[in-house]
Order: sequence, then C-alpha cells, then structure tokens
Amino acid sequence: MSNQEPQIVGERRVLGIVPGRPPVGERKDPQQDDSVMVWPHLLVRHAVVSVAVLLLVLILAVLFDAPLRDIANPTVTPNPEKAPWYFIALQELLAQFHPMVAGVLVPGAIIIGLVALPYIDRNEATSPGRRKVAVATFTIFIVVWIALTIIGFAFRGPSWSWVWPWQEWYGVL
Amino acid sequence: MSIGQRIRRSTVGRSISRSPDVVTDRDRATKHWASFLLHIYPVKVRRQELNFRYSWFLGVTSMVLFGSLFVSGMYLMFFYVPSPATAYGDIQNLQTSVAFGQFIRNVHRWSAHLMVLAVAAHMSRMFYRGAYKPPREFNWVIGVVLLVLTMLMSFTGYLLPWDQLAYWAITVGASMAAFVPWMGAQVQATLIAGDQVGSATLIRFYVLHVAVLPGAMVILLMFHLWRWRKDAMLSQPQEGRA
Amino acid sequence: MSQQYDRRKFLSRLWSWSAGLVAAAGTWTTWDVLKPKASVGAGPVRTVSPDEVPSSGVLEIREISGYLTRVEDEVVALWWRCPHLGCKVPWCDTSAQFECPCHGSVFNRVGEYRRGPAPRGMDHYSTTVESGLIVVDTASITNGDAPGDESIDEPPIGPECLEGGEG
Repeated sequence: MSNQEPQIVGERRVLGIVPGRPPVGERKDPQQDDSVMVWPHLLVRHAVVSVAVLLLVLILAVLFDAPLRDIANPTVTPNPEKAPWYFIALQELLAQFHPMVAGVLVPGAIIIGLVALPYIDRNEATSPGRRKVAVATFTIFIVVWIALTIIGFAFRGPSWSWVWPWQEWYGVL
Repeated sequence: MSIGQRIRRSTVGRSISRSPDVVTDRDRATKHWASFLLHIYPVKVRRQELNFRYSWFLGVTSMVLFGSLFVSGMYLMFFYVPSPATAYGDIQNLQTSVAFGQFIRNVHRWSAHLMVLAVAAHMSRMFYRGAYKPPREFNWVIGVVLLVLTMLMSFTGYLLPWDQLAYWAITVGASMAAFVPWMGAQVQATLIAGDQVGSATLIRFYVLHVAVLPGAMVILLMFHLWRWRKDAMLSQPQEGRA
Repeated sequence: MSQQYDRRKFLSRLWSWSAGLVAAAGTWTTWDVLKPKASVGAGPVRTVSPDEVPSSGVLEIREISGYLTRVEDEVVALWWRCPHLGCKVPWCDTSAQFECPCHGSVFNRVGEYRRGPAPRGMDHYSTTVESGLIVVDTASITNGDAPGDESIDEPPIGPECLEGGEG
C-alpha cells in the first residue's frame, strides 16, 4: 500500500477509498430521542420501588415472627429435617439420586452452565422467537427447579415421605 | 428565595454540593457529576428503562434488600456473641428484652429470604431480555457470582441462631460437600472446621457472614453497577444482524 | 545499554518473584487457619465392660457419639452419623434396626446397609479391651461396608419408627 505511487486526480492526491454505502440516508435518528434524564425520571421510580419493597418487608416482619426452635442438640435429629428453601430442590434430588449426582454434579453443572452461558450462546438476537433453544432450555430448568422446591418445601413430611400440604404442614422458612 | 435554596447557595452549601441551582437538564447533569451518590447512576438512560416490564425493577429491589440487611444486621451484631454457650440465649434475649429486637430479627430474616428470591428473579429477567449478550457477558458472570454469594450469605446466617433448625440444616448441607470426588472429606471438614458442627463452625460461619462475604459482595456490586452505568446508553443489538 | 536492560529485567523479575512469594505465604497462612482441626476430644474413650453390651439391641454411648452392640463375642462400635448426609441415626426398638429420619436410610443391628439413599453401611470405630473395659478410639473410623449381603440374620421384628417412609 505505502509503496504505491500516490494517485493524483485533478491536481489532488487521493488518500483512500472507503468501501460500503454512504452514511447519509441509512443513518438512524439521533439517539437523543429515546434517552431521558435519570434524575428525576428513573430516580423517582427507584424511590417508589424502594418504599414499596421496604413496606413489604415491614408488613412481613410485623405479621410473621422468625422461627426459633429448641437449642441445638447433636443427639436428636428432628424429623423431617429440611434444608433452607433455596437448597430444598437439591435435597429433593438427594432423596432420589446418589449424593454424588445430586450434591455435586447437578449444582456444579448449574453454576458452570450459568457462568458460561454468555460464551456458549453467541446468538445476537434478543427476541424470544429468534432464540428458541436458549429460551426453551432455561424455561425447562426454571420450571423443574421451582417444582422441586415446592415439592420439597410443602409436600414432604416425616422421613421425607409424601404428604398433602392441606392435611399436614412441615414447611419452615 | 426559599430557605433550602438559601442554604444551598451559602458558602457552606456550595462547598458540599457544588451545584446549587438545578433548572435545566445541563444543571442536572452537572449535579450528577458533582454528587458522589448520584454518580452511581448514569446521567441519561434509554426511555425503555423507565418501563416496569423492562427490568421489573428487580435489580434495585435487590439493592434495597441488601441495604435493609446491612442495617438490620448491624443492629443484631450488638446483641450476639458467636459461641455455642451464648448464641441461643442471645437470640432469646434479643427477642424478649431488647427494644425492637424481635422486629429487627424478623426484618433481617424476611429481607434475606426476599433477597435470594429477588436476585434469582433478576437473573431470570435478564436472561429473557437477553441482557447477557455482547458486550455485557462479563457483567452477567459477575451477577451469577453475586447470586452464589447471596445464597452463601443466607446459608451462613442460617446457623447463627444455634437452634435445632440451624444445626441440622447446616449438618445436612455441609454433608453434601463430602461427595465431592477425591477430596470430599477435606472439603467438608474445612467447611465446618472439624468432623461435626460445633463451636469452630459457628465462629467460622459468623466471620464469613459478617465480614468476608459482605466485603466480597460490596466489591463485586461496585463493579456490577459501574458496568451497568457504563452500558446504560448502549444500543440494543439489532435484530437479525447475526 | 545492555547493562541497563539487564538491571531492568532483574528488577522486574524480582518484583514478580516477591509478589509470588507473598501470594504463596498468604495462601499457606490462609490454609493453616482454615484447615480442619483435629476434633476436640477425639481419641480413646473408656466405656463399659464387655458383659454390659447386649447381643440383641444396642447400647447408646454419648461419649463416643455412637452405639455398642455385639455379635457373639465380638464388640461392634458404630458412629451414629448417617453416611448419607450426617444426621444422627436413632435405634428403633419396635423394628430392631437403625432408621434415619432425614431421608429414610435403614441399617441392621450391626450397621449394615438395608435400604435408602445412603451409599454404604454405618461407620465403625476400632475398639480394644483394657482392664475389663471396652476402649473405643473415636479418632480411628473405618467406613461402613458397601451395600451387600448382611452378616447377621435379623429381619425387622415389628413396625418401623419411620412414618410412611418407603425409602
């Protein structure tokens, strides 16, 4: 390139030729049109959300006391013994599969899968119709996980046996 | 001139806020740059971000709950000693003879449950919006780490009341780690500092709960929010350009 | 010129090596703080005389977190921790077997696997007899046997303590 003779057109040197269509005509409207000032527009909404969330916490805290059972006793195992609700799907899996699968492989695969998701799914489209595989996989995972959590939380009684929540209740938050 | 304006325009007022008048958008932007708290936010965002269905405001909900946990947790720390001999009694004492003790404990508990829920829901919403697509990949990764940290925070906090619920939930949870291939027993023993849950476990979980994990979360949150602020005016990937 | 270059290289290497050294020291210290301590009180525990150990049923001994039982003259010391997820496995008198309330694992009188999600039988302590007393070494634990045939022929004698647990 650099050792080519400079091209002269009408007494002027041509520095370069740019490929592609001209910018005029295809250019979108200036972006100012769809931008808004954060203050006050977004901040007002965030303030409303904050108040609503704190109100919800306040109502829950007034209505329901945090549980406190007997003092810890290593010689007595309560029956049933439930994990915190966000781990109860894992506990439900543990009752069905070998601990190696349910306690290590599944949670490991979930975390690695979530971390690697942006690097696996290189499809640039954002509308659900154009990324059916990703949306379907994630939706199935979420539905199964919620179902396992509800089963473990409400439908399991002593010795992890099946109970109907409207007959016996063993869920603890 | 109102009293507020008068204070803002005084020498002291100017030294604090540096931009006393907010009339035009330009003033607002100036105020943004000059204010420590507001600089967390971008000056402008896309109009769609104002819609409820864009994010369901789950990110800011998580932040508010984190703040609530921070404040209520500090209150609880004044009345709690992490030792098997005292922990349970401290909680009982807190509930019966400390002003608003039971209420603050409830706030902490409910905020914790809601935060796990809000962070998980935030992640799902971001997935369906495709907000992990380039160039935002790394902020998604940070978000996943924050979700894991949130659950660890909740899990370590679960042991602290030292009641039957806490003791056996942690025993069962930590036993899962024993099935890690090759080094399961060591992982479990390191987690609970011994071969069964005891005083060493309690102090270990306490330090994780009040210092190590919150510190890690604050650092990651700063990065998470900074990236959000940087990307606020990013154009959405155009459909079908792949 | 080349001398300057060497000094710069030397200094930058020195930096990297020092940083690596500090990182290694930090890792080692952290591990030293976090590594599992030998559990308090683990070691030989003097219990009861072999005559007091029943050959049907079990004797719960809190000091060893476990049970003593006997097959003919051989004393068996079991840790009460379930090999599944660490719950305490209680003895059920009505069925004469170990039944874990957490996830329904069941073991026979000498801790051999019967059913449930546990990967193996209950873990054993090693025992010796000194001056007429059984000494249980709680620091020496051997894993239970993998699921297989039972060495004793003692089927459940009655209703189980587990409520409606089928496994």
